[in-house]
Amino acid sequence: MTDETPMPSENAPPAAAEPLAIDPKLLEILVCPLTKGPLEYDKAAQELVSRQAKLAYPIRDGIPIMLPEEARPLG
Amino acid sequence: MVDETTTHFGERTIPLEEKQGLVDDVFRSVARRYDLMNDLMSAGLHRAWKDAMVVSLRPARTRPFAHLDVAGGTGDVAFRVLDEAGPAARVTVLDINPEMLAVGRDRAGARYGSRATFVDGNAEVLPFPDKSFDAYTIAFGIRNVPRIEAALAEAHRVLKTGGRFLCLEFSMPDIPGFDRIYDAYSFNVIPRIGKAVTGDAESYRYLVESIRRFPTPGVFADMIEEAGFRRVSHRPMTGGIVRLHSGWKI
Repeated sequence: MTDETPMPSENAPPAAAEPLAIDPKLLEILVCPLTKGPLEYDKAAQELVSRQAKLAYPIRDGIPIMLPEEARPLG
Repeated sequence: MVDETTTHFGERTIPLEEKQGLVDDVFRSVARRYDLMNDLMSAGLHRAWKDAMVVSLRPARTRPFAHLDVAGGTGDVAFRVLDEAGPAARVTVLDINPEMLAVGRDRAGARYGSRATFVDGNAEVLPFPDKSFDAYTIAFGIRNVPRIEAALAEAHRVLKTGGRFLCLEFSMPDIPGFDRIYDAYSFNVIPRIGKAVTGDAESYRYLVESIRRFPTPGVFADMIEEAGFRRVSHRPMTGGIVRLHSGWKI
């Protein structure tokens, strides 16, 4: 046993950059508010993507922002 | 009924698309002290009104119960539902205002944990599938929705068959004499308390005026029925200053 728990390196991003985990059960019940179609979870970007609406809904502080006017249009 | 292009913001008639932004500003400015303000303005009565709504809801204690509370960002109604329901109940809180949701999420903490989840969304375009909830509540929120009919249609859509719709909203008192006291209180006292506690009298003037603009209980009950709900009813509380509206998806 070792007590050498890996410490975050000095170059690591601050803890705040680690996205707050989104509740997996919540992902199951969310749909695109415009199309009512499915969403894909982009963990790295912290976005919920509606392919049908061509919109990416942001997740901020673990709270999904399901407002079309706040979503990023996909090219 | 309002026409297609304008709606009400308190006593002002404004273009429909502007209302949401103005309502957002009101709640952003008061989020942290919202529940305290409710206590002061209603002399604590808002707790009794919300308790009565949850008692009327009678959430399942032994079976899973999926509940949606709309416009309840601070979690005030959601936590009551979880206290009343069994351990298999889950509440989704939807609010358009991120500041209100942040307050609720912080309050949920370890006590309610993953049984309460928080979603930023618009009551007029809900981000949930058809027939996904056993009950829908909205307390003192429908008044602030620009397109009330759209919100009611969405409530009906996301409820399961047999699901319950409950709505608490202010209304004008129906006891003779009480109406004048109510007027004096709402136009003089409430904005002053609002200014003292949140530094923002204007936001509370909006709240008072918006109550006067809201459809009468009978008209609102008709709107609930038009959205598809059945066994629609409403009952006055505290001399009629608040109504509990109820409907079933059958």
